[in-house]
Amino acid sequence: MAPNQPQADPDSLEEIAMISMEFGKMLMECGAGSAIVDEYATRVATALGAESVDLRIGYASLAITVRVQGKGIARMRRVGSIGVNQRLDQAVRQLARRVEAGDLAMSDVAGELERVTKDSPRYPGWFIDLAVGLACASFGRLLGVDWLAFGFVFAAAAIGQFIRRLLLRRNVNVFITATLVAFLASVLSGIGSRFAGSATVDTAMTAAVLLLVPGVPSLNAQYDILYGRPTLGSARAVWVAVIMIFLTIGVWLGQMALGEGL
Amino acid sequence: MHIEVVVVAHQTLFGSLAAMGFGVLFNVSQRHLLWCGVAGGLALAVRTLGLQLGGSLESASFAAALSVGAVAQMFQEHIGISRNTLDVTGCIPMVPGGFAAKAILGLFALTAPTPIEPDKTLIISVEYFLRVTFTIGAIGTGLAIPSLLLKAKQLAVQSIPRPSSK
Repeated sequence: MAPNQPQADPDSLEEIAMISMEFGKMLMECGAGSAIVDEYATRVATALGAESVDLRIGYASLAITVRVQGKGIARMRRVGSIGVNQRLDQAVRQLARRVEAGDLAMSDVAGELERVTKDSPRYPGWFIDLAVGLACASFGRLLGVDWLAFGFVFAAAAIGQFIRRLLLRRNVNVFITATLVAFLASVLSGIGSRFAGSATVDTAMTAAVLLLVPGVPSLNAQYDILYGRPTLGSARAVWVAVIMIFLTIGVWLGQMALGEGL
Repeated sequence: MHIEVVVVAHQTLFGSLAAMGFGVLFNVSQRHLLWCGVAGGLALAVRTLGLQLGGSLESASFAAALSVGAVAQMFQEHIGISRNTLDVTGCIPMVPGGFAAKAILGLFALTAPTPIEPDKTLIISVEYFLRVTFTIGAIGTGLAIPSLLLKAKQLAVQSIPRPSSK
């Protein structure tokens, strides 16, 4: 327990449970692995006065049991859609360290967490689109795409990312989005590179959809299993597999449209 | 067995650009984007060298992920960035998404009304699946090893009773 923290009484159990789970939920939604979620939720709960903390991390929910002076409660919270947001992840961890240092009263923590979330900076949409275009074009070079197709992979992936942002903002299902974006990006990249006379049209079509490959969840799935949470790891792996299938359907439709093949 | 420096430099450069591009998508702060590029470049440099020295894609990816994991572990406090950020963005360019898509496309091709060379298609598809699985496994394990070792070391230190101070 942090030295500056007042001794918690059993009346504050509810607040301790909900605040510490909010930290865990935020970190999950920012793309952190289960070891980090567990570590930070436990640190916050302990700093707020919990004597023992048990956390269950599911794919779509968290459950916690906290105890103070022999009394305990169990609470559950839903986890929203999981993305990747490193700056918010860092800000949440920083706030957890402040709670641990005793900088904040328990009543201020929830408000401060809300403020941190609201103030967390993001890059402008157009900049993300261009960066993703560059990333996919670079991927293309790593996979052997020739220079004739490079620019078209860049443009197709950037447009794909733009459309992805648009669809997700309108709450279109993430799997359907993967198929639509994969189709569009692969067709655009394929038409462009064929028009330019590229010898690597097929690879260019694949490279343009790599923005959709869920790299972070696939690495997290393994982390979770290696750190002793196989249930969450398996759930993430299944999600990755399904996204890959929907993505491939998009590429497959694109290949059929252009008459390209394996 | 010989090293083609131009190829290594090319892969390093584009690995680095891919990592930085994904860094933007993952909302990594401006001052840390360059470090993501360094991590991605390091990953691709080690992997390309490993391949040129005769290693398989899986073993080269393992060595690359291990290097990124170790460097991230050593420098995370110095750079002021979490290990997780460097690990993930550095290794993203090695995730074999293209192979995964080709493996699934192969399976789709098998279900066509009249599949062309189904036995050959199946073998290629299975080969891609295995490569994806083993490469992802190699990357994940390579990244996890440095921190698992550190955790084991911390646990060992905690379990040793400290001598009382004077």
